Amino acid sequence: MTLTAAFDAQHRAFHRALERKDRVVVLSSPSAPVEIVRAAGLNPIVVRGGVSPTPTADGHLEAGVFPPRLRWLAEAALSGFLANTTRIVFPRTSDPDYKCFLYLREFARLGIAPALPPVSLFDLLQSEGPNVRAYNVARTGALLKELTLADGHSLSLDAVRHEIERANFARAAARRLIALRKGAPRVTGTEVLPLLGAFWTLDPEVYATFATAAANEIAQRPAISGPRILLAGAPVDSPELHSTIESCGAVVVAEIGPFGTGVAGEDVACTNDPIAALADKYYADAIGPRTPITRMRRLIEELLDDVDAVVISLPSEDTAFGWDYPWLRTLLEKKGIPHTCVSSPDNERFDTLMNALARTEVRRG
Amino acid sequence: MADKQLSATAAAGAFQKEWFADLRRRVFDERQPYALLQADVPFELFDLLDIPAVSNQWWAAIVAAKRQAPAYLDAMAADGHHEGLCHYCSLGYASTKYRDVQEPPWGGLPTPRLLCARLTCDCIHRVFSLWADEFGSELIEIDHPGAGDLPARWWELGRHRWRELVEPHRLAFVASTLERLVERLEEIRGRSLDRAALRQRLESVNQQEEIFASVRDLIASAPEAPVRMTEQISNVMATQWVRGTDWALAHARAFHDEVRQRVDAGIAACPGERARLMWVGVGLWHDTDFYTAFEESHRAVFVWSMYLAFGPDGYIRYGLDDPMAALASRLASFNEYLHNPPWAAEWIVEQARRHRIDGALVLRPRSMKPAATGRLFIERALENAGIPVLPIEADVVDSRAWDPKSARESVRSFLEKRVIV
Repeated sequence: MTLTAAFDAQHRAFHRALERKDRVVVLSSPSAPVEIVRAAGLNPIVVRGGVSPTPTADGHLEAGVFPPRLRWLAEAALSGFLANTTRIVFPRTSDPDYKCFLYLREFARLGIAPALPPVSLFDLLQSEGPNVRAYNVARTGALLKELTLADGHSLSLDAVRHEIERANFARAAARRLIALRKGAPRVTGTEVLPLLGAFWTLDPEVYATFATAAANEIAQRPAISGPRILLAGAPVDSPELHSTIESCGAVVVAEIGPFGTGVAGEDVACTNDPIAALADKYYADAIGPRTPITRMRRLIEELLDDVDAVVISLPSEDTAFGWDYPWLRTLLEKKGIPHTCVSSPDNERFDTLMNALARTEVRRG
Repeated sequence: MADKQLSATAAAGAFQKEWFADLRRRVFDERQPYALLQADVPFELFDLLDIPAVSNQWWAAIVAAKRQAPAYLDAMAADGHHEGLCHYCSLGYASTKYRDVQEPPWGGLPTPRLLCARLTCDCIHRVFSLWADEFGSELIEIDHPGAGDLPARWWELGRHRWRELVEPHRLAFVASTLERLVERLEEIRGRSLDRAALRQRLESVNQQEEIFASVRDLIASAPEAPVRMTEQISNVMATQWVRGTDWALAHARAFHDEVRQRVDAGIAACPGERARLMWVGVGLWHDTDFYTAFEESHRAVFVWSMYLAFGPDGYIRYGLDDPMAALASRLASFNEYLHNPPWAAEWIVEQARRHRIDGALVLRPRSMKPAATGRLFIERALENAGIPVLPIEADVVDSRAWDPKSARESVRSFLEKRVIV
């Protein structure tokens, strides 16, 4: 199995995991600690957006509110597809995730999803108040307790530390891939996003092995020419937008979001209090609509030095990232970096952007 | 606009206008601080520390009612904000940021000393951060932990068993956040919050909401609705923003007494009432005439909205030994009760039955996305309870895409085909 296949075939991954009778915990987004899930003796699988129709879920989930990954998850819940999974966990890192959690609980209460496994909320807060950290640490500990005891295991902080070390090992491999996108990129965004995103699906050692092999192979390639693009706005969880952008001759070298550039971040410090270390890590790294505006701006500014243009993804269900746009536009204009906004892959807009880039090059030349 | 049937309604409107003029005088002439708050922030804490507070939603409703929203929202769109962003929570910000577009109502919002918002929907942090930046004012945020326990009939627990309504860790978090807010307000005012006064204020809030409970009972049980929904809203919301104050209590009593007199005298809002309607969702502030448009033609009267009904069930807290915890319990799940399963649908069906509702109009908001969730559960629950539902797609403050004629036509058709049969 390749990393790309692991990332691309969500249904197949679920089927494979279930066929192996793995004790699977489904995470609605990657902002719940996979280390905690593994320390409880369970296997995390993070949901990504599907492109398949969701007719049953559409009768319950309002249009234009929930991103495709949550519509897929609701459909899977209602159809019984998740019957053999151990639990579904929703991090509270976006309001649609929280509401989807409430909906699934309601499906169970109303008896319209009889095969639904238990559903949990991981109530990770992202604001900057002084009592937020203690709350997050407590909720991270509660998640470990909930997962562990429900599965008949005993709580073990050593198991958490072990899983942190394993995940850090995988993070190091992911960072090698990310490094190959900087400066003169050697891999397209279309190709590398699946390689990075598989971090959330594979066992850490398996991931590290595949990612290291991929990085070794990519490092031998010549640099890719073409304007270097930052994909900002609402995080994407599939390479569809990358592919459209790159079909116009550009290369996506970074994206704001947990499936690409943001997949690894720094290692988790394996301290005396591994629960607090994980709470801090996921608080710092969680990228979504509730990420504080100052943190989001800092993140974008750090990435602008290494790009020629910016594509801003603002899908129809966006409620948050659109508020950042006037600030970002002003910043980009100040730096002379062309940009465009898209609500879906749109070749015409990218062609316009490429023309703008060509003009910029002429001026610079 | 339909004539006001209650003298209390005119008094409520006059009070709000005077209150705002006095606020501007205090801010500009006396350099007193005031606060801009999201509607679900505990206003009591600000008032007790002598920091008058303006509700974002109230201000948005005023701007919309004055038909000024389109110009501000056009300016916001021209500045690059896409049309899918929430207009209700951001109209106040737009009226500040794009104030050059037109003169805002009543002279506009002066610069607040601080802004405060609960982080319910994902947009709130951003809208309030931008707004605070625009004013150069401080922002205090109250984060919103998610609810995991689901007592569906929450209104049966709220008054006496409120500690059971909210998980202990959430209650503790919200209470500690309120304590932090109080510390900051105390710093600003240079004096301490009188805890005994807080308890007393919450007792007054209980009294006020008990009065509204009595009004609600009168409306529910009278042979014909004695007061229009729009006038219920005017009277209730004028008091809710200053809840527990002497004026609020006095006005609540005056409103109650007038409704009582109308019931006793057999006076109906719409004599010959044939259909009792409920409005589910935020008010349609740019077209409030919509709510009286079917009285003459169909004798159909809007009887219920959340604005009167929620106070008695959502605010009353008995057992005020720890007033901050009581306040936190009211706050912690405010939005869930009003919008999300299982809480909203269970409550709205119960209210519909109590008010003998014949048909429900459920708002499908064009923006306000996360706040608009739960709607399909509500619609289904009402229909399952035998109450016909008509979804109304609209933006509550933005009239640009609203076609009043076709909206009224769809309601007339609904009434004739499903309600008055």
